[in-house]
Amino acid sequence: MSTKAKAKELAPDRVVAFASEREMPPLAVSLGTSLANKTGSWRYLRPVYEEKEPPCNHACPAGNDIRGFIALILKGKLAEARELLCETNPFPAITGRVCHHPCELECNRQKLDEPLSIRALERLAGDEGYNGKGLRPPRRRHKERIAIVGSGPAGLSCAYFLARKGYQVAIFEAERKPGGMLRWGIPEYRLPKAVLERELALLRDLGIEFKAGLRVGQDLRLEELQAGYDTIFLAVGATAGVELELPGGEAAGVLHGLEFLKRVNFGERVELGERVAVIGGGNTAMDAARVALRLGAKPVVVYRRTRAEMPAIPEEVEAALEEGVEFTFLAAPIEVLTANGQLKGARFIKMELGPPDETGRRRPMPIKGSEFKLELDNLILAVGERPDLSFLPEGVKLREGRVNDPVLVEALRAPIFAGGDAATGAGTVVEAIASGRRGAEAIDRHLRGLPEPEPEREPVLVPFERINLDYFEPRPRAQGRALAVPERVTNFEEIELGLSLEQGQLEAERCFSCGGCNQCDNCITYCPDVAISRHDDQYEVDYDYCKGCGICAQECPRWVISLVEEEK
Amino acid sequence: MIEIKQSSPYPLRGVLPTDELMLSGHLACQGCGAALVMRYALKALGERTIAVIPACCWTIIAGAFPYSALRVPLFHTAFETAASAAAGIKAGLEVLGKGDITVLAWAGDGGTFDIGLQALSGAAERNDDIIYVCYDNEAYMNTGIQRSSATPWRAWTTTTPTRHPKDEPKKDMMAIMAAHRIPYAATASPAYPEDLVRKMQKAKAIRGTKFIHIISPCPPGWKSASELSVKLARLAVQTKIFPLYEVENGLKWRITLEPKGLPVEEYLKLQGRFRHLSPEEIRKIQETVDAEWARLVAKAKAEAS
Ligand SMILES: Cc1cc2nc3c(=O)[nH]c(=O)nc-3n(C[C@H](O)[C@H](O)[C@H](O)COP(=O)(O)OP(=O)(O)OC[C@H]3O[C@@H](n4cnc5c(N)ncnc54)[C@H](O)[C@@H]3O)c2cc1C
Ligand SMILES: Cc1ncc(C[n+]2csc(CCOP(=O)(O)OP(=O)(O)O)c2C)c(N)n1
Ligand code: SF4
Ligand code: SF4
Ligand SMILES: [Mg+2]
Repeated sequence: MSTKAKAKELAPDRVVAFASEREMPPLAVSLGTSLANKTGSWRYLRPVYEEKEPPCNHACPAGNDIRGFIALILKGKLAEARELLCETNPFPAITGRVCHHPCELECNRQKLDEPLSIRALERLAGDEGYNGKGLRPPRRRHKERIAIVGSGPAGLSCAYFLARKGYQVAIFEAERKPGGMLRWGIPEYRLPKAVLERELALLRDLGIEFKAGLRVGQDLRLEELQAGYDTIFLAVGATAGVELELPGGEAAGVLHGLEFLKRVNFGERVELGERVAVIGGGNTAMDAARVALRLGAKPVVVYRRTRAEMPAIPEEVEAALEEGVEFTFLAAPIEVLTANGQLKGARFIKMELGPPDETGRRRPMPIKGSEFKLELDNLILAVGERPDLSFLPEGVKLREGRVNDPVLVEALRAPIFAGGDAATGAGTVVEAIASGRRGAEAIDRHLRGLPEPEPEREPVLVPFERINLDYFEPRPRAQGRALAVPERVTNFEEIELGLSLEQGQLEAERCFSCGGCNQCDNCITYCPDVAISRHDDQYEVDYDYCKGCGICAQECPRWVISLVEEEK
Repeated sequence: MIEIKQSSPYPLRGVLPTDELMLSGHLACQGCGAALVMRYALKALGERTIAVIPACCWTIIAGAFPYSALRVPLFHTAFETAASAAAGIKAGLEVLGKGDITVLAWAGDGGTFDIGLQALSGAAERNDDIIYVCYDNEAYMNTGIQRSSATPWRAWTTTTPTRHPKDEPKKDMMAIMAAHRIPYAATASPAYPEDLVRKMQKAKAIRGTKFIHIISPCPPGWKSASELSVKLARLAVQTKIFPLYEVENGLKWRITLEPKGLPVEEYLKLQGRFRHLSPEEIRKIQETVDAEWARLVAKAKAEAS
């Protein structure tokens, strides 16, 4: 017998056959192993490892890999966590502080106890994952130069992603310093300037040029920009306050919310009286009231709908209430009362909610005869912002992506792009960041002559029902340290102090890791057929032997394993 | 040529022994709990083990001549003789100077609670140095789901049809074994492999008769979905129907896992063999389980004080 044949005969899965009865041993002893028996043929359901999309990732406008960065925090790898976040979001330390966190609203864990504290974890990665070393400038791969107008999160994000692709980028900003609303909208107690400066320094490391104090349309014309650059990204935000038609509205003592915040944020000493009314229900109104409080006033917010309809981030409303800001709902100003051009008070009228308007919120309607007066030292109007597009030809409207307004196309004769609040009206930092990234991609495609990408297929999301709760016990969500109310209302110190690494790791442990394998070993441990093996971080099913019982899929805590029908 | 898998590359879930002494290709049904517990037991005991198996499902699972699914010697014996055959093999090994080899008697509930009970009692009384495992699937499964004295009250089997479900309670085998004052007795569940392995290893280190009673879900016999076997083994524990505990020298009782005390219904409703139960019967089962649990807690407390 050849040695090759012998080796084959000795294989553990060999079939043992006897030519005649005489060849059989006198006693029934085993000569081969059960591996000869390929029980895979019994199977009608096949377990397959198939990662699925967690609802948090799907809900993040920037497309952050939330499940992924939380897993890195769990391992204590904060620098890697930050790096992963920076693939989709240049500013985890900023969104980690001010994002309206739609991810948490979708987090599966809330159906067991409370959602993961995703924003706080992002901040932990953003702050503590920063190694202080700066970034290496990317290799300059393209000769094209791109001008970005506006240095809010949309412009910054577009610049960041273009620079990473190897383009030369310059940002033009009307104000003295870059940052947009991150600098002159959101106050210090929520987003310290030092954090903003650190993140901006990283963009400078990437070779991005900042040209601050240049207002396009005033200090230089759009056409001039066009001459020096291959294309333009407009990210001018919504910086003009929406006007309220109020008799007496031009009296001294009447302020505009954004303007007021900008002056305070730029370090100006703004004098306020004690009796201050803030009109509006958005983030600007909340911050204007809380800033007024810190300047010694006793602010009252007057909003024409109810708390449920307020567009401000709910936590910000909560914080304003906690700090002692008063609220009057269902009321609106109708007249400013003045003496010698100076504000003395205002007349208001009570409202009730009627049928829904075009925004889907119920329309406030004045109640006849319900007028009332308030004596005031200041009135701060914060009823919304709109883009200031006065640098563009009359009547031009922007939408995200390549600008196709015929007037503008005609005037410029070359494609330009737009994004952020000015184009989307979305009104949040993370959506501006996402818009900037999409802008960078559209510009790259345009300059490289690449086609539009195929629309992405809807991913399979992990529903809560697919989480195996046998493996999770209720546990409260992490609470970061924060200044108590008396410690915060007299100054502009940052309120939230963030999670410690230890707290962050405990919080990361709460994550189900929906649809993402984290090597818990349950599948390999519970297989009655020893049909699963592991190679580094990958598991593999041996379909020669798997009988398709489905235990591995059932005991997978996080729906990584699917059972698919075998072909008949 | 396929390579024979002798070990996992690292301890599963960080702690389980790497040895894989049970092979794929065995003949257990899909989702068989008895197969899973053998896998863990051999991981715990290691290569220097001889298994002794009387007539039961495992006779079949291990494979027909000339094949075996175990990488340790396996001796097939008659239905009622697991304990005595194991004791004899151990005596022989000692004569040969191979007393370090662990002899594992591995029998079903029929072969333990019923027909094998006198052989087991004899070995226990002599304190023969064996580990006796009863994998309990709560009926004579190999021959087609006939009732045994381990079948729970009111369960369906082919000999206790739903019109005449079983009217006797499950025999308290652990109490019987404890009454023999053997050095070690314990219960275990495949849902808790770390606990199971620890108990097997503890048994291995003790001289004398050791008895391990392991709940073993059986999809065809319990009329349950094959993927639910581990979940059922977990629910049996968490509902206190099959608590995890150990008994030293018949006197020292210790609960090894504090159950959540889930309603028994959660366990019963996943199994076709209990589908016919009335709410009244379920309530009665709950009462019995609660009372048994209280007795167990009392025994554990008595020892602690
Ligand atoms: C008070 C306040 C609080 C907020 N709080 C939050 C919050 O907590 N969370 C959240 O997600 N969002 C918050 N927002 C909203 C968020 O800040 C904005 O949605 C976001 O900044 C929009 O980004 P952007 O880049 O589109 O525009 P912006 O941030 O508005 O930046 C636009 C920039 O363009 C510059 N610019 C305008 N015109 C020109 C020109 N002609 N030439 C050169 N430069 C020009 C402006 O000076 C500005 O710097 C808040 C907004 C305000 C006002
Ligand atoms: C003396 C004798 N009676 C009957 C049988 C037939 N028989 C073989 S296995 C078995 C049932 C075994 O039941 P159990 O011990 O609970 O093991 P399971 O098959 O459930 O795993 C029976 C009755 C036999 N082999 N020997
Ligand atoms: S549990 Fe974790 S992976 Fe699942 S939705 Fe929440 S944060 Fe995302
Ligand atoms: S547990 Fe094992 S036998 Fe069952 S489906 Fe998974 S791989 Fe197959
Ligand atoms: Mg049985």
